[in-house]
Amino acid sequence: MADTYGYTGKIARVDLSSGSVSTLKPPEEVYRKYLGGWALGMYYLLREGLADPDADPMGPENMLQLLVGPVTGISPNARTAIVTKSPYGFNCTTLCGGQGGSNLKFAGWDGIQIVGKADKPVYLAIVDQDIEIRDAGDYWGMGAEEAEMALRKQVLAPLEQSGSKLSPEDMTEKWADLRPPGEKGIGAKRLASAWVIGPAGENRVWFANMVTEGARAHGRYGSGAIAGSKHLKGIVVRGTKGQKFADKKKFLRISRGIREREGKSHFWRSYGTAGISAKESNVLGGYPIRNWQWESWADPKTVKTLSGPFMDRLSFVRKQSCPGCALHCLYPTEVTSKKSFLDGTITDMPDWEAMGMVGGNIGYLETGDMDPGDPYSGTTEDMVQNAAKSQYTTRLFDNQGMDFIEGGALLGLLMELRQRDLISPADLDDIDIRWGDVESVRALMVRVVHRRGVGEVLARGTYETARHFSRKKGDEGIMYYSITGKRYAQPAHGTRSNHDRNALEYVTVVRPCEHTGGGSGAFMKEPIDYEGAVQGQNTTAAINSMVYCLFAGGFWGDEGNVELVRAVTGWSDFSKQEFLRVGERAYALSRLFNLHALNVKNPRQEWDSPSMFPRRWFEEPLPTGPYKGKAAFGGDSAKLFDQALPQYWKQRGWSADKGIPTRDKLAELGLTDIAEDIASRLRG
Amino acid sequence: MDASTREQALELASQFEKGWISRRAFIRMLTALGLSVSAAGLFADTALAAERSEESKAATNHTLVIDPAKCTGCLSCAMACADKFMQEIAPEAAQDTINLEFSRIRPMRFQFVDFVDVCQHCELIEWAEGSRKHPCETVCPTGALHTVPEGEGKPGYTGGGYMSVDRKKCLGIDMCGRCLEVCEQQFGSGIFFDPLEGKAQVCTRCGGDPACVRACPEEGALRFIPVLVNGRYYANTPDEAAEMLYRKMFNQGRDL
Repeated sequence: MADTYGYTGKIARVDLSSGSVSTLKPPEEVYRKYLGGWALGMYYLLREGLADPDADPMGPENMLQLLVGPVTGISPNARTAIVTKSPYGFNCTTLCGGQGGSNLKFAGWDGIQIVGKADKPVYLAIVDQDIEIRDAGDYWGMGAEEAEMALRKQVLAPLEQSGSKLSPEDMTEKWADLRPPGEKGIGAKRLASAWVIGPAGENRVWFANMVTEGARAHGRYGSGAIAGSKHLKGIVVRGTKGQKFADKKKFLRISRGIREREGKSHFWRSYGTAGISAKESNVLGGYPIRNWQWESWADPKTVKTLSGPFMDRLSFVRKQSCPGCALHCLYPTEVTSKKSFLDGTITDMPDWEAMGMVGGNIGYLETGDMDPGDPYSGTTEDMVQNAAKSQYTTRLFDNQGMDFIEGGALLGLLMELRQRDLISPADLDDIDIRWGDVESVRALMVRVVHRRGVGEVLARGTYETARHFSRKKGDEGIMYYSITGKRYAQPAHGTRSNHDRNALEYVTVVRPCEHTGGGSGAFMKEPIDYEGAVQGQNTTAAINSMVYCLFAGGFWGDEGNVELVRAVTGWSDFSKQEFLRVGERAYALSRLFNLHALNVKNPRQEWDSPSMFPRRWFEEPLPTGPYKGKAAFGGDSAKLFDQALPQYWKQRGWSADKGIPTRDKLAELGLTDIAEDIASRLRG
Repeated sequence: MDASTREQALELASQFEKGWISRRAFIRMLTALGLSVSAAGLFADTALAAERSEESKAATNHTLVIDPAKCTGCLSCAMACADKFMQEIAPEAAQDTINLEFSRIRPMRFQFVDFVDVCQHCELIEWAEGSRKHPCETVCPTGALHTVPEGEGKPGYTGGGYMSVDRKKCLGIDMCGRCLEVCEQQFGSGIFFDPLEGKAQVCTRCGGDPACVRACPEEGALRFIPVLVNGRYYANTPDEAAEMLYRKMFNQGRDL
């Protein structure tokens, strides 16, 4: 790129096997076509040949990409995207907030691509153009929080570490008076950002993730396992160069407007996503309760335990923002509990997904013998203790570096199998895991993190664990309790009421079973609004390629998605159409990647099939709540898979029989060169 | 524009500034007051800023006070400060760039704690230390770091006893760095160095109307108020300050 605005025009490529660092300079048309983040990451994954079923996700050939987008830097709501091949075999596209994305841009990089495998633990220290691969032996084994704090101290810009310039001759009497003896120097500023893995990533637990700022995670699909497989403990970056804009005035005006609109959002500014729980999930039918046996508590009092206002009064200490954001959705909390190992836990709230998955889903909210269909039997003090369990478990997952959605589903599976006597404590190294039992959760997760005993099996996630027990017990019925979509956990949004998330949304998203796909509202309509759903999904995918926060999408609108990009990059004719196209490309590439990498010959049987999704959605009507008796698609999975899905594919310009982007569609998207070969093979 | 129209226009401008009305609505309402569309647009862009700087009085004897429970660490203050001072120091580059290194106020993120690093305005104590100057000012060998007496300084920048750096005199971090050294040894870490020449930058309180305070989106997090506090009693290096905040907020000591 001749003159780079917004972007820096450079992506660093680090080969941990050889220890070499080089610079990639993507041409401007590549940036414009893919923007960054998700779409750009998929483009490089395909170019690298990682869609090949033989490319081992945990092998040195896999590429871990940390990417930002055109506006990341000074603009509001900056994030980062990690795009790599997941330990589960499909694409791992996972986003995260924090200051790191801005720091990376200020250092002069639009991304980092890491290939190879170091022979001993290392971390990357990036100060502007200088990228060093440093020994991380001292940090290996540390929890994510501790490692992050330690690593950030090690990376200072030259301005911060120049040391004292005073020689003994400079020491006049007066100066010596003022200055006490002892170690002199300069270096108290702390401005680097770090992404690290915890012990779970080091041990390549499939659903391990990369964590930044203690509680922000590139949460899903196992980015931490990939880093661990490369012996990469962390990435630390300190940038000092700032960001260039084609039209700075316009940029400032638009970004100020975004921030002001955000400043008036009392939903986010009151409780963040914790505001979802009581108000939406329990009422709309979508709170994961005991491995999704329920989605609303019969007694609304029960949900109070994990709701924004209650937890705020109980434990929120302050609020934390990503750069330039006035939504501040992260609320650091301090836990008080009678149980000594819970007491003093410091974590973030938990946010909604954790409230659902390591809260309701594992039976933390009920007391005594009550089940979720009973009236609440506890006291406020019980609620306090139960909230503490959820907060503790959130912290456990964050600090060990694991996805609590997948982990919560795994625990829910095991607890339900135990409830139904389908497994016994002997199957879990004598841990008797019961609903709401935080001690057992701790004991079991420690085994998972270190892959000890049964942890070796569990470390492969919910679906593989269900398969293990179904083989071990010779009971195919066990698979019923694996609440996963395409082998990855269903997040804390239910499908059966059709008022929270739509089942077709979980089937069609190309980051398997993601809850932030953006098409659900249109899918819920009667008749289904396919066009709206596709546009919603494309918008979300484009936002994830621009790499700013989905929560802020409504405050950006077209002004942000189009005008802000124009102001930053100088692409004066950048259009909304073009923005949506980026999302469409991300969808097409990810779809092809997943099918090819997993060697799916017949998607309708092996991948987009009822067998890949919870039968509970269709076969078990909701037992409680305002949508009691409802099941997904009226209980008829054929309606979804045989009627709706092919129509959706058609709407996308994908073949109705297999959901493969047609030759014309790929040509229209300009993807022929990188994707047509794979697509034609998949078309058969 | 007559006086009452002007008053109404300014009221609208303040509503616009606060975000209660859109730019489009603002211009429409201005035209309802009799302004032409182009004049209204111009007013939206320029008159607002001019009015504000004309009206805002440089406040004296004020201190920057940060409420760490309200601050979210969003960096808005640093962005505003960086933009302002980059325009002074590197006007050409500042036309298309914002670089936080030009900021004299830097929120620093520690685990679950944000500490806002900025000059805390320390003073030496005359009877004990023989001077009432700022420690950094005392050790500056060239007199580059100096206090702008009240009422002096550039227009719109009239000081109030705040510090400024004469960039012509400053030797820079590669030659000297005594100001930051004494600051970090005994006080805080309030001096920054620009990334171009490595010369010292210190918070001037914008001469009494700080840009950072105006940019802060969190009410009460960053205030400029008449509290007379000698910074030497509460300035700490960022890590020490963060550890103290951690104790206060989370009731635990921790090596940050």
